[in-house]
Amino acid sequence: MGCGCTDCEAMMQPYLDGMLSDSEVVEAREHLERCPPCEKRFRFEERLRHFVRVAVDEPMPAGLRDKLAGLRSTAPPA
Amino acid sequence: MSESTPTAAETRRIAEVARDRVRFEEEALELSDQVFRVARRLTGSREEAEDLVQDTYARAFRAWQQYQPGTNLRAWLLRILTNLNIDRGRRAQRSPDLQPLEEGDYFLYNKLESTMPDENPDEERVIERLSQNSVVDALADVPHDFRDAIVLVDIGEFSYADAAQILDVPIGTIMSRLHRGRRILKQRLAELAVTG
Repeated sequence: MGCGCTDCEAMMQPYLDGMLSDSEVVEAREHLERCPPCEKRFRFEERLRHFVRVAVDEPMPAGLRDKLAGLRSTAPPA
Repeated sequence: MSESTPTAAETRRIAEVARDRVRFEEEALELSDQVFRVARRLTGSREEAEDLVQDTYARAFRAWQQYQPGTNLRAWLLRILTNLNIDRGRRAQRSPDLQPLEEGDYFLYNKLESTMPDENPDEERVIERLSQNSVVDALADVPHDFRDAIVLVDIGEFSYADAAQILDVPIGTIMSRLHRGRRILKQRLAELAVTG
């Protein structure tokens, strides 16, 4: 799919994780400029990671912080 | 001077330790919200996460002197938390290779795009095919070892090195679990999106 190049797909995660060498990054960017379908899938992946982080976010229950503070050995400052 | 009377130096030292301890406890409490968010996704329920975080802080407050000031306190707390989680028998559920071969990285995008009428939809529209609940469910379905890596790196925003230290595995293991885990997650998301 996309441009049919499997190299690109294999490079996606290391690229987005910042794990490629400088020369590999240049190569990846050059390819992505020439290949809109791959570029779109890379942008999708970036947004997906953000979406996942936000979607599963669940704030700390009210009261838990006080319970934790109660576990302290030292008295909180007055 | 009697032997039981502390010297000025000793008194100063005791006061310093007490101050360090207060500072440690305050810094740890500041991080509790972030620790909970990660704990919530490492465990199956809100209650379980709450218990685990309390046990973690109880242990951290006792073992505070083992923490090296200047190192990553959040990672140190999570290390305690994941160890307690394992002690609780969570590892009884192994997650070996019963996973089917996961699909490639483009799988989810291609699947979602194929359900849309427009020829070349914007990636933002494609993302909108996913619901918040489906993400929560899909993540919960990812086997533990892979999920832990995703939770620490993609949700907790720990570096590979910190995640490796927290889970006590080599960095290469974190990378491969993350790589496979994300693919498994996307495959599951695709299934959930297609079945509604």
